[in-house]
Amino acid sequence: MSALVLGIDAGSATAREAEHLLAEVRTLLDLGGGAVCCTHLVRDHARPHVAVSVAAAGLSTAAFAVLPAGYGAALGAYRVGPPDLAAAAAVAADEHGTRRSGRAVYYPGAAGLTGVRTVGEVLAGSAIERVAVLGGAPPAPDTVLDTRDFVRPQWQDGRLTLVATPAPAGRIAPFEVPNPTPCCADHAI
Amino acid sequence: MSHEHDHPHEHDHHHVGAPTELPAALDTTIPDEELSPAEMSRRSMLRRSGLLGAGLAAGSVLAGAGAGTAAADSGAGRGSDHGPRGGFRWLAGDHHIHTRYSSDAMYRVVDHVQHANAYGLDWMVITDHGSVQHAKIGVEKVNPDIVAARAAIRGTLVFQGLEWNIPAAEHGTVFVHPGRNEVAVLKDFENAFDGVVTATTDSTAANEAVAIAGVNWLADAVRRRRVEDALFLANHPARKGIDSPHEIRGWRDAQPTIAVGFEGAPGHQAAGIPAPKGPGSGRGFYDFSPTAQSFARYPLESYRTWGGFDWMTATVGGLWDSLLAEGKPWWITANSDSHMIWGDDSVRGPNSDFAANGFYNEPVHGTQGAILTNGDFWPGYYSRTHVGAESFGYGAVMDGIRAGRVWVDHGRLLSGLDVRARVAGSGQSGVPLGGALRVRAGSTVELSITISTASLPNWAQVLPALARVDVIQGAVTGPVADRDAFSTPDTRVVSSYDVTGRTGTFRLTYRLPDVDRPVYLRLRGTDGNRSAPGLLGAAVDPHGPAMDVLGDADPWGDLWFYTNPIWVLPHR
Repeated sequence: MSALVLGIDAGSATAREAEHLLAEVRTLLDLGGGAVCCTHLVRDHARPHVAVSVAAAGLSTAAFAVLPAGYGAALGAYRVGPPDLAAAAAVAADEHGTRRSGRAVYYPGAAGLTGVRTVGEVLAGSAIERVAVLGGAPPAPDTVLDTRDFVRPQWQDGRLTLVATPAPAGRIAPFEVPNPTPCCADHAI
Repeated sequence: MSHEHDHPHEHDHHHVGAPTELPAALDTTIPDEELSPAEMSRRSMLRRSGLLGAGLAAGSVLAGAGAGTAAADSGAGRGSDHGPRGGFRWLAGDHHIHTRYSSDAMYRVVDHVQHANAYGLDWMVITDHGSVQHAKIGVEKVNPDIVAARAAIRGTLVFQGLEWNIPAAEHGTVFVHPGRNEVAVLKDFENAFDGVVTATTDSTAANEAVAIAGVNWLADAVRRRRVEDALFLANHPARKGIDSPHEIRGWRDAQPTIAVGFEGAPGHQAAGIPAPKGPGSGRGFYDFSPTAQSFARYPLESYRTWGGFDWMTATVGGLWDSLLAEGKPWWITANSDSHMIWGDDSVRGPNSDFAANGFYNEPVHGTQGAILTNGDFWPGYYSRTHVGAESFGYGAVMDGIRAGRVWVDHGRLLSGLDVRARVAGSGQSGVPLGGALRVRAGSTVELSITISTASLPNWAQVLPALARVDVIQGAVTGPVADRDAFSTPDTRVVSSYDVTGRTGTFRLTYRLPDVDRPVYLRLRGTDGNRSAPGLLGAAVDPHGPAMDVLGDADPWGDLWFYTNPIWVLPHR
């Protein structure tokens, strides 16, 4: 079950930054569509940030060599980079490896989850193993999911789970929206 | 307004050894009789607010009878179980409103005040965002607009405040009593403690300490009478998951008479109207997900509204109840957070340059028709915070909020509400919302609920029909071991009244026999259109609010009211 998981922490401030990091890492490591790439929230009381993890066949510490200097990384018992970042990277790798947490950005079948899909199609056509509905009835195979072209399932209790909520017109939609309201918190003009 | 008395009194009392830095009103070695009328009025306010003497350190209804806690004494009659003589004036208001001095808003002060007045608000607070521009320009330039609006629109009290970027946390309303230092105090506060101005927004322990320092600074400004009064209420507390329970407890415990509550319901209530006729977002613009800044233990459901209310308040037995179960005051409000009005066609004035000027030019009539992506209502149009005030005035509104004599509703669900707790059969007028009824152990207490249903259609042409009233009761269990607790095990809906079809004014009575432990009681009611079992189970809340659907939330079809609690405290 447990493919080797590489944890990387570049100190990304937000999930969006971490997704850019994952795109970069996919290129650097030449990862294929079979890889599962996740973001992990690092709730550090000195510096909250986001780490990432990559599960793919054939990963080795050779990956360390292609990562930019300054990134922390962890694979198995091996570490590289600044110790605090490497430690957070190790936690991310472990969470992903044990399938306790991690928000998947790239995973098998992700590219096909666009437009409108039934829950049955999602489960059959992607690595997502479960669709849970928050604030509504459990979904049936023919329940319609409005993907909003943005589907980020999470590892929960060993299964890659998409948390959804009721949506207009009797559909469901992923809990996480692609473009949350631009926040008045960012008034640092 | 009483500055002519400052110096004489400070000088007068040098010779009796009073600390020279203390204004006479605060110096408890000076008897009441020696104070000027202005100083006496000042001292009375401080006493009422708990900022003088024993109440300062108490901040808990469990501090014991006669300890002078804000909750027990305010409005309930000093040291007695009796209600106030006479009733209160219930003044509807809104403490969260943005003008063209906010980078994401557009209206003049008087635009808001005119609308608020027309929609029935008695008081309102102008709360432009803390920002570099606001600290430098807006906080000063908005003041003459506010002063002019006070004169132009007589029936509505207009406070100046600001929306504080709480360091390490969400936003909050900070507002002050009008007076010669209202601008200076707000400006100094913003420059020293605003999270954006001081780059302290990250959820770090160091930044959390800055927030506490800010709350302390406000209390000090009141104590040193730089400003007559100040209050802080946290806004949209669960929106982004960054107001952790220990931060909320920290603000409250640092200054329980300054940090007095949070929004039970956020503004932006039009934001869930389906696109393309509305923004199609989350009600309250609650459409976020956990981040690295958010509190890890908050569940996903905390990021959405429930019947238009914030999860912290909407969850029976949840975060708000866990605060009340400590026996400490913490009050809820409901506001518009008005920035841009749904369906309005006006636009920012041409050639505006907020970054350079600190404001947008005055709005103008637009030519593109109604703007349906705006998510807000005018103040008073939808959300109301009803405050039981002893008179119509700035100080009385602030006192009423601090005392917790507050209930809130959406869409004018009710036209009036009076709630009293008294010893059954005693003939007492009873203790109002926010108060504490002290009774002999074993007494039977009755909660008397007088409801006046809506008699006129609201601003959406809906005549709201109240369907159900719930009494929620919680045990007061004292301080929590876990400062991050966000549930309490012994709070639940204890009685529900089906009031379908009842109109006019009627009374419901909930009896609490054999009171043998401290409890609190609060109320909630609804039009009954949308309900779901509570998040902590049907045994706790069989018919709670349902989660609002992103992009499909008609605010007029899902109306609730909530009250603040009354404590019932038995003694031997």
